[in-house]
Amino acid sequence: MPSDQHYSIPDPDAARAFIDGLVERFTVLEETSVFKKQRYYDTLDWRLYNKSLVLSACGNRLVLRKLKKNKPIHCMQISTMPVFARDFPAGEFQNHLAPIIKIRALVAIAALEVCSVPYRILNSDKKTVARLVYQRFQLIGGTHEPILHAYWCLKPVKGYTKTARKLSRRIQNAGFAAADAEALYINTLMSVNKTPGAYHTKIALQFDPEMRADEAVRALLHFLQQVMRYNETYIEMDLDTECLHDFRVAVRRTRSALGQIKEVIPPRVLARFKKDFAYIGKSTNALRDLDVYLLKEDEYRSMLPAALQEDIVPLFDYLKKRRTGALKQVIRTLKTKKYNSIMRDWNDFLQQPATDAADLSNAGRPIFELAREIITKKHTRIIKIGRRILVDRQDEKLHVLRIHCKKLRYLLEFFASLFPPRKVKALISQLKKLQDNLGDYHDLCVQRAYLITLIEEGTFSRQASPKTLAAIGSLIGTLEKKTLHVKNAFENAFGDFASPSAQALFQEVVQ
Amino acid sequence: MSILALYSNKGGVGKTAAAVNLSYIATRSGLKTIICDLDPQGAATYYFRVKPKLKQGAKGFVRGGQKLYRSIKGTDFDNLDLLPADFSLRNLDIAFDALKHSRRRLAKILAPLAAEYDLVVLDCPVSVGLLAENILAAVDKALVPMIPTTLSVRTYAQLLSLCRKKDYDTSRLHAFFSMVDRRKKMHRDIIAAVSKKYKGVLQSFIPYLAEIEKMGLYRAPVAAVSPRSEGARAYDNLWRRLQASPGFKLS
Repeated sequence: MPSDQHYSIPDPDAARAFIDGLVERFTVLEETSVFKKQRYYDTLDWRLYNKSLVLSACGNRLVLRKLKKNKPIHCMQISTMPVFARDFPAGEFQNHLAPIIKIRALVAIAALEVCSVPYRILNSDKKTVARLVYQRFQLIGGTHEPILHAYWCLKPVKGYTKTARKLSRRIQNAGFAAADAEALYINTLMSVNKTPGAYHTKIALQFDPEMRADEAVRALLHFLQQVMRYNETYIEMDLDTECLHDFRVAVRRTRSALGQIKEVIPPRVLARFKKDFAYIGKSTNALRDLDVYLLKEDEYRSMLPAALQEDIVPLFDYLKKRRTGALKQVIRTLKTKKYNSIMRDWNDFLQQPATDAADLSNAGRPIFELAREIITKKHTRIIKIGRRILVDRQDEKLHVLRIHCKKLRYLLEFFASLFPPRKVKALISQLKKLQDNLGDYHDLCVQRAYLITLIEEGTFSRQASPKTLAAIGSLIGTLEKKTLHVKNAFENAFGDFASPSAQALFQEVVQ
Repeated sequence: MSILALYSNKGGVGKTAAAVNLSYIATRSGLKTIICDLDPQGAATYYFRVKPKLKQGAKGFVRGGQKLYRSIKGTDFDNLDLLPADFSLRNLDIAFDALKHSRRRLAKILAPLAAEYDLVVLDCPVSVGLLAENILAAVDKALVPMIPTTLSVRTYAQLLSLCRKKDYDTSRLHAFFSMVDRRKKMHRDIIAAVSKKYKGVLQSFIPYLAEIEKMGLYRAPVAAVSPRSEGARAYDNLWRRLQASPGFKLS
C-alpha cells in the first residue's frame, strides 16, 4: 500500500480554501479535531540522532523510527515515559535501544502541541476512499506560539489508489509542495536552540600542523570548557551519572593539558588555573565514587553466593543516601562565587588573542612539532616505567603508570587530527588495552579499600545486620581474588604495548 | 497469524454479523486484521460498503498470490482490511475440486497474509462440501453460531459428526449462542442442555436485537456505531471468551 504523503502548508488560509474547493468535487466529511502533545526524546549526547534515529511520543504512543523515514521501527503504548533502557519492557524496543543509549537517560529535547483535523473522502457508497489530515504543530507554551509547521497528510486507503493519486495531484496543483521528511524535527529543535548532534565529548578539532601552539591549545581548552558548561545544569538536574562523568573528564583533560603542554600559557595564569581545576575536580570526587559503586550494584550482587545476594541491599541503600548528600554538595560548589569566577576568568583568558610572549618558548612553535615532541617523551616514559615494574614488581608503581598512560591517551586524543587517522586509532586501541588492565587493577583496589573503611569507621557497620557484614566480607574476598587475577595479566598487557610491532606503529605515527 | 472462521452448516444464524463485529473488535485491541468474505452473497462486503468484486473472480481466488491480494480493500477502520466477496465464489467447491490437494487449497491461499496481518477472519457461506473441508483444515478456530432451537442443535451435531468422520480436530470448534431471546423458555432450556452436553461451547449469548439487524442500514459494525450498546457488549464478551479459549494464539 502506498505510504502516507506529507505536503507543507505555508499559509493556514490556503488550507481552508483548499478544503472548500475539494468539497465541490468530492464528498468530504470533517471529523472531530484531535489535540495531542508530541515530545522528542534523545540522550544529552544525541546518541539516537547519531545513529539516525528519532524517538517521539505522541499522546501515549512511543515511536522509534529512522531519520527521514515515516515508517516506525518499533512502537509501544506508554503510561509514563521510560527514562533508562532498563525501564522499557523486555522486548524488541528495549533490545534496539539498550546498546545505543547504554546508561544514559532519555530526556525530552523538545515538545510540540499537535492539532489534527481529519477529513474523510467518501465515494458514492459513502465509503472512505482516502483520508486527508490537516496537522498543525506549535511549540508548547500557549496559543501565542507561532505555528512551526502545518501539513496535509494524505493517507491512501488500500485498494483506492486512483483516488489517492487524484488527491495528490490536486494538492500539488494547489501549490502545496511535498514536505521535507525531517523539516519538522530539525526546525523544532532549532526553535528551542538545540542543534542535533552538536554536543559530543570526542575532540573533533582539526589542527593545521603549522598552527601556532598557543592558538591550538587555547582552542582545545575552549572546547573542554564548553563541555563543562554544557553539563553543569544537567548535573544539578541529576538526569544521569554521565553528566558528571563528562564534566569530570573535561576537567581532567584540562588539567592534563595544562600540566603537559609547557611554555605555552603564561606561568602566572598556569599556576592559578592548575590549582583551580584541581579544586573543581576534587569537589566532585565523592559523588563520582558513589556513582561508580551504585552502577556496579548488579555486578556486586552477582559476585555473592545466592544466599547473601539480598543481604547486600542495605549497603546500596546506605550508598544511595550518601549520594544524595554528595550531590547536594556538588550543586552547592557549582553555585559558589569561587566556581563561577574560575569559569568566568578562564573563559576571559581563553578569549584573549594569543600574544607572542618572549618567555614562552613553545607558544609560537608549530603545534605538530610540539605535539610530536610531548607525545614521544610520554611514550618513552611509559615504556621505561613499565619495564621497571616488570623487574621490581612494585605494585604502587602500577598507579603511576596508569596516570602516565592516561596522560598519553589524552595527548593522542587532543592532537589526533595531526597524525594519520587509521594509525593513531590503532595506537589508541593498543594503549586502551593496557589502560583497561591498569584501570581495572586500580578500581578493584579502591573498591576493596572503600568497603574495608566502611566496616572500620562504624557509621554503617553499627546499623548493618551480621548477614550484611558477611556479604560485604564475601565481596571483599572476591574483589581481592579479582585484583590478583588482573595484576597477573599486567605482564601480557604491557608486553603487547611494548612489543616491537607496537613500537614500530608508534614510530610510524609520530614520524 | 491466526485464522478464525465464522462457520455454520445452517443459514441465517448470524455468521456475518459476528464476523464483522469480531473483526472490528480485534482491530481495536491492536491486531491487524483482514476479513475474507467467502460468501458469494457478499453480506460482509456490503456492511463495509465495498463493491463485491474480485480481480479474476473465483479462478483468481483459487490461484491466490499477488493478483488476489490486489483485490484487498481498506475499510473505514484503521488496521481492518477486507478481501471482498464475488458472485463467482458460488463455484468455489468446483474450482477446488479441479486442483491437486483440493482439501488444503484455502490454507495455501491464506498463508502469505501472515506477512501483513495478525488475524484472518473468514465469513463463510453455508457449505458441507469441499469448501467446508478446506475451511476446517485451514482454521485455528471455527466459531459456530447456534440459535437455541432444535434444528440448530441438530445441525451442530451433524457438523461434529462430519468432523469426527473426516478426522478434524473438534477442539478447534466452538459453538456460541446467537439470536437469543431470554424471554423464551425453550431458548433457556436449550442453552442449558447444549452447554452441558457439548464441550467447548462458549458461554456467550448474542441477543436477538434490532440494533444488530440495523447493521444493514448503517453499513458498519454495531461496535463502531454504538460501542456501549447491548449488542456491542455481547460481541465484546464473545471476543473475550474466544481469547480465553484453550489454544487461542492471539490472547
